Amino acid sequence: MTSDTETVRVVPVRHYGRWLTALLVVGLTVLFVRALLDSPNLEPGTVREYLFKDYVLDGVVTTLWLTLLAMVLGTVGGVVLAVMRLSANPVLRGVSWGFIWVFRGTPLLVQIIFFGFLGALIPRLTLTVPFTGTVLFDKPTSVVVTGTVAAVLALSLNEMAYAAEVIRGGILAVDAGQTEAAAALGMSPALTLRRVVLPQAMRVIIPPMGNETITMLKSTALVSIIAGRDLMTAVQTVYQNNYKVIPLLVVAAIWYLALVSLLSAGQWLIERRFGRGFARGGVR
Amino acid sequence: MTVTDVTTRTATRPMVRAEGVTKRYGPVEVLKGIDLTVAPGEVTCLLGPSGSGKSTFLRCINHLERIDGGQLWVDGELVGYRRHGDKLYELKAREVARRRRDIGMVFQRFNLFPHLTALANVIEAPVRVLGTPRERARAEAARLLERVGLADKAGNYPGQLSGGQQQRVAIARALAMHPKLMLFDEPTSALDPELVGDVLDVMKGLAADGMTMVVVTHEMGFAREVADNVAFLDGGVVVESGTPAEVLGAPKHERTRAFLDKVL
Repeated sequence: MTSDTETVRVVPVRHYGRWLTALLVVGLTVLFVRALLDSPNLEPGTVREYLFKDYVLDGVVTTLWLTLLAMVLGTVGGVVLAVMRLSANPVLRGVSWGFIWVFRGTPLLVQIIFFGFLGALIPRLTLTVPFTGTVLFDKPTSVVVTGTVAAVLALSLNEMAYAAEVIRGGILAVDAGQTEAAAALGMSPALTLRRVVLPQAMRVIIPPMGNETITMLKSTALVSIIAGRDLMTAVQTVYQNNYKVIPLLVVAAIWYLALVSLLSAGQWLIERRFGRGFARGGVR
Repeated sequence: MTVTDVTTRTATRPMVRAEGVTKRYGPVEVLKGIDLTVAPGEVTCLLGPSGSGKSTFLRCINHLERIDGGQLWVDGELVGYRRHGDKLYELKAREVARRRRDIGMVFQRFNLFPHLTALANVIEAPVRVLGTPRERARAEAARLLERVGLADKAGNYPGQLSGGQQQRVAIARALAMHPKLMLFDEPTSALDPELVGDVLDVMKGLAADGMTMVVVTHEMGFAREVADNVAFLDGGVVVESGTPAEVLGAPKHERTRAFLDKVL
């Protein structure tokens, strides 16, 4: 026991080990970055030259709207698939399961190439009125499903499968008592889903869907394989002509990193908003 | 059983009539033939140990559970079925929802919608189900919240309310549909002891206004004071029923006596 007037100096533990490891890691990082920068093939001048070229910017814009469209279509389709998957109708359940099984079970790259060459499987797209023979629509598949259309189809159908599982998880996370309370008030199943279940499922759905969006932005690079006119396609077209592969990949990487940072900031804002709702026991 | 007694005594159509209602979950028979009649304007308390089937039976009344045998009527209409000739046709989800409008239900765990304010909870069903104009629904919801003593909590989310307050909002939410029958499934069992009184007071007020109520409860004081009829359930059957004085005061059956000895 010390008397309370006495002042005692506190000596914190000295972490010599920490200092040593920190020094080691900093040293290694400096060496690595210098090795990168010393490479004559990095060509910072070339990177600066192409970073804001109009066709690169066009590619950025295409990548952005491709991401947006695929996410919107994917989310809408995902809600439908999730509801089908939870339906009492075994046929709807089965179809939804099968769709998710195929689109989650095959590589996105395979799906993109498949839709790119859809014309080889179905040469013509024809729509007729049944039993009358009246032709409403008849065109070669390759004319309708251009590279861009194929890219949108592949990305959004693939996203539907993943979004369906995220949304299904969100719906299942809503307490069964909520559905019962809505039922006891005379609300129909459809009204209950729209007004009671989905708004509450949102809290669980939003964070993984933010991740899905970030993944999607980067996945759009795959459509360069079928000339999807996105950022990666633009960059590839350039380096296939001038062979400056590394600087142009750096250009693409800078743009993807910038866009993902923007999306991450957006995700943070949305999650904070929904977190605030959670703190007081509700969304909104 | 008391079925015929009660019908002849009141000489009106019973609000709830159950005859030999059975319900099973897989191999377990939860209800083994429930007979019960609730006259309009009466308060009936269902008592019994946990697992006796009282909550299950209550949930059968508004078809949250489907019965496996026997017959069950609410206000003269079969629950969950439509009779046509000698056949029973199961009702569609929409028709079931329609009949539930007239039956209010209050749950043990409140089940308020957490993403809506107290007021929005109360107006949700009148506006979306009955098509009541929003302004009229709001005015009525304000009156109902005042009636349950929560006029100043209209803008609060359920997460900002105590259990007792949430349960009173839940009662207001059920009343907003102008039900002819109110079902209470252990409404005070999830509450801190000092909050039970407020909820019971609201329920007493409802009973005094002539609301027909079926209440599953462990509150013996409430049953004794408010109930017109008490039914004691055990093992999926009604062991004994009658006035509170008969069942609680002078139980005839050994099982009723054993239960009351434990809870009183």
